[in-house]
Amino acid sequence: MERTNPLSRRRMLQTVAAGSAVGIAGCAGQSDETAAPTDEISFPELGEFRGSGPLVEGRPAPGGTSIEDLPNLEGELNLYIGGGEGGIYFRFVEKLEEIYPNFEVFPTSASSSSLAQTVVEEVDAGAPQADLFWSIDASSLAFVANNDAYEPLSADAIDPVPSDFTGPDSAWVGVAGRARSIPYNTNALSEDEVPNKVQQIPDTEGLPGSMGWAPSYGAFKSFITAMRLQQGEETTSEWLSSMSSAGTQKYPNEFVVSSEVADGTLDAGFANHYYALRVKNSRPDAPLDLAFTSGDAGALVNVAGALQIEGTEKSDLVNTFVRHLLSAEAQEFFTTVSFAYPMIPDVAPPGDLPTIDELNPPEIELSELSELEATLDLMRSAGVLG
Amino acid sequence: MRLRAWVTAVRQRLSRRSSTTRSTEDDEGATALDTGLTLLGAAIAAVLVAPLGWLVVDVTTLGPRAISLTVDPTTLAVLARTVALVGVVTAASVVVGVGLAVLTVQADIPYPRFWTVVAALPLAVPSYLGAFAAVSAFGPRGALTGALAPFGVEFPTIYGFVGAAVVLTLYTYPYVFLTTRASLLSLDVSLVEAARTLNAGRWEAFRRVTLPRIVPGIAAGALLVALYTLSDFGTPNIMRVEVFTQFIYARYNAFARDYAALLSVQLFAVTAVILAIESRIGVDDSAAYESRANRGAVSLDLGWLRYAAVAVPALIGLLALAVPVGIFGMWLFRSGPGYASGALAFSWTYGWHSVLVALLAAAGAILVALPIGLRSAVSDSRLAALADRAPYVGYATPGIVLAIALVSFSLDIAPWVYKTVPLLVFAYVVRFMPQAIGSIRSSRLQVDQQLIEGARTLGRSPLSAFRSITLPLVLPGIATGGALVFLTTMKELPATLILRPLGFDTLVSYIWRVQEAGLYGQAAVPALVLIVVSGLSMAVILAQEGQNDS
Repeated sequence: MERTNPLSRRRMLQTVAAGSAVGIAGCAGQSDETAAPTDEISFPELGEFRGSGPLVEGRPAPGGTSIEDLPNLEGELNLYIGGGEGGIYFRFVEKLEEIYPNFEVFPTSASSSSLAQTVVEEVDAGAPQADLFWSIDASSLAFVANNDAYEPLSADAIDPVPSDFTGPDSAWVGVAGRARSIPYNTNALSEDEVPNKVQQIPDTEGLPGSMGWAPSYGAFKSFITAMRLQQGEETTSEWLSSMSSAGTQKYPNEFVVSSEVADGTLDAGFANHYYALRVKNSRPDAPLDLAFTSGDAGALVNVAGALQIEGTEKSDLVNTFVRHLLSAEAQEFFTTVSFAYPMIPDVAPPGDLPTIDELNPPEIELSELSELEATLDLMRSAGVLG
Repeated sequence: MRLRAWVTAVRQRLSRRSSTTRSTEDDEGATALDTGLTLLGAAIAAVLVAPLGWLVVDVTTLGPRAISLTVDPTTLAVLARTVALVGVVTAASVVVGVGLAVLTVQADIPYPRFWTVVAALPLAVPSYLGAFAAVSAFGPRGALTGALAPFGVEFPTIYGFVGAAVVLTLYTYPYVFLTTRASLLSLDVSLVEAARTLNAGRWEAFRRVTLPRIVPGIAAGALLVALYTLSDFGTPNIMRVEVFTQFIYARYNAFARDYAALLSVQLFAVTAVILAIESRIGVDDSAAYESRANRGAVSLDLGWLRYAAVAVPALIGLLALAVPVGIFGMWLFRSGPGYASGALAFSWTYGWHSVLVALLAAAGAILVALPIGLRSAVSDSRLAALADRAPYVGYATPGIVLAIALVSFSLDIAPWVYKTVPLLVFAYVVRFMPQAIGSIRSSRLQVDQQLIEGARTLGRSPLSAFRSITLPLVLPGIATGGALVFLTTMKELPATLILRPLGFDTLVSYIWRVQEAGLYGQAAVPALVLIVVSGLSMAVILAQEGQNDS
């Protein structure tokens, strides 16, 4: 039974309240505008927060806190939101603006790393512009946190998320997960043929030379950073060189990589998990599936997350907003519209993917992913330009 | 015709060697007004270039590492590829641009005015949108690749160096086209006729008489093409070619701003080399405007070939204009799953914002370019020459680099302008103002000094003479300069993204946002609006040409 039954107690009370308000206003000959703002708030049904398509049908109702049980959002918020997935996440913010008439968000969008540096420079200069930084990558959050340009989030805002996906000192909290994966063409390969260690791929017959990657993409660089942190520079450099010399095809982004795998141009690729799901949702018959490696960089779960910028005067609003991002509706939205991994345990993963616990990601502090320069040097010396 | 004059001015600005041929008023001792203008121009140039100095400050934090990074083999390899791309695009643009200019000015093709507009219009299309459309049309499983496959037409892969060069050429050759046209229109036909009378063949006359006289114009256009290619990020990125700007982006996005700054300084060095080469090619440019009579009337009788010749601009128009418009139109009407529309609704205020900042940038550029351009046209002072040339650094600076420098600069020096429309407009002015200096300077050059002296003799004050004589005569130059700045500002993306005020979206920033969100259908309307508005400013530029030559 979905929680959004129109006859839920709260909703019924609202309906009654709104009705009587209109009635009174009508008697007094006044306009509706005199009604208190809270009377105007009505929450859409769960379906409104869901995407559509075969991967979304038949999902169980999400658990977790409903936005109906959170304090109302009121006021104006300046938001720095990372490009890419951020564009899709922002659609949820627009829904919140529709729900709360007195809530308005002014977004600025650029690449997450660019915004992170902007935040740090602004805070250093004593001129912060935004209240909240919503990055699509943990490395950018870590960069801001390492430069002390944050205010810790409240316990309320952090609590719903497992500690693996929060920053030290409550500096940031993950709101959507992005797992590394290996999309493969099911006509070309069976799941068993994809090794469960990313280091074994160069030695796996049939794989090298028929794969694709997008080295200029931020998530790929985080993947290499994770490999470097876990396996060391030499191993990582060798891995890059052997994949590169085997003829791994280069693409501008991982959506293209996933599409090429679906089309059979490539047998397999390196991509964030949601790209393949996006292809799959629009082309259910595509011979495409996802494999995950185990315990290494190939199974890194990176996050998009929110950080409160130092110097904001809207701490309450920021924290309430972050709680909204971790509500059942928001998590269902991110999971079914952008196919991200939910950050709260009571929402099912997208598609029929394993849960994060079943994935076995590597033991790596996401905060360390901001050490990117060494990764770029490594990629450069291996002849793979990012 | 102002463009023609603008060409000569660009030329002169870059090679001052021929300045003795210019009539100057300096011999008589500069008036206080003139000195004031020179100093004002120099001050403005200093203000425009100063923020870029912040990059050098960033580089110093690298210490000795800077040297090893500079000579790193990978860095040099990317640099070499970039230079190769600049060379190929520039050469191809010269071939296409000069060919079309000769065709539209001198050949007896049907509807020359129409083909002139078609050949000039690709400049109104941002090259990254062009690249985007090219990939959508001719990429693997592209709209046209699929449509033509049943007929046995197979496209080579569009990605890579060649594809990038083709796309960049398609959208930058109009610089050469416009400047060469201008030179051709100003050509003294009696010289060509004399050569023909002396039994020179058509080709020999072109080579020995026409070509030397239009070389400065070609070089001026080629310079703009080269600097555009050097500073462009979007197109090579979409076409999957690693060039220097992308290298800079990657460092910047890896939190290595000092490294990015170092690479930017290296890019300045390449710019300096290009400017030097250009000024060597530019021979004595006095020839470019020596005559006022018999301009451009050479007629090239192509016979029946005139109809075949039209196929060239037609093909280019098809590729550079019809394909992107068609692709965006298709996105608009297609509603497949990949093109689903979302809640990031388009608002006409984005269009208004774009036009507003572009107008402000054009006005700002004209305001600051006026003292520099007016003064350098008639002065031989080194200070005036420096003020005239220094802003070119801004023109060659990639938008991202300029934006980074301006963020640090404004936060350190003047935090209250940070993320405001004035700072954004300032960035545009720094980047695009040289185009306005050029056209103002050249129109000032064509003002007959005797007219002004006449007015002074009749008792007019210097200011009054300026108002009643000089200003009306330089107005077309102002219009052309303003239109060029407007056009380029409308298309600018990287600096806009970083410097725009909170919640201030323009057409390009909106296109970027929806494209990032995967909502390509949403990009169609703003892209088409952008092309139409930019196209209107092309009309202003071509109208100046028409007015002055008819």
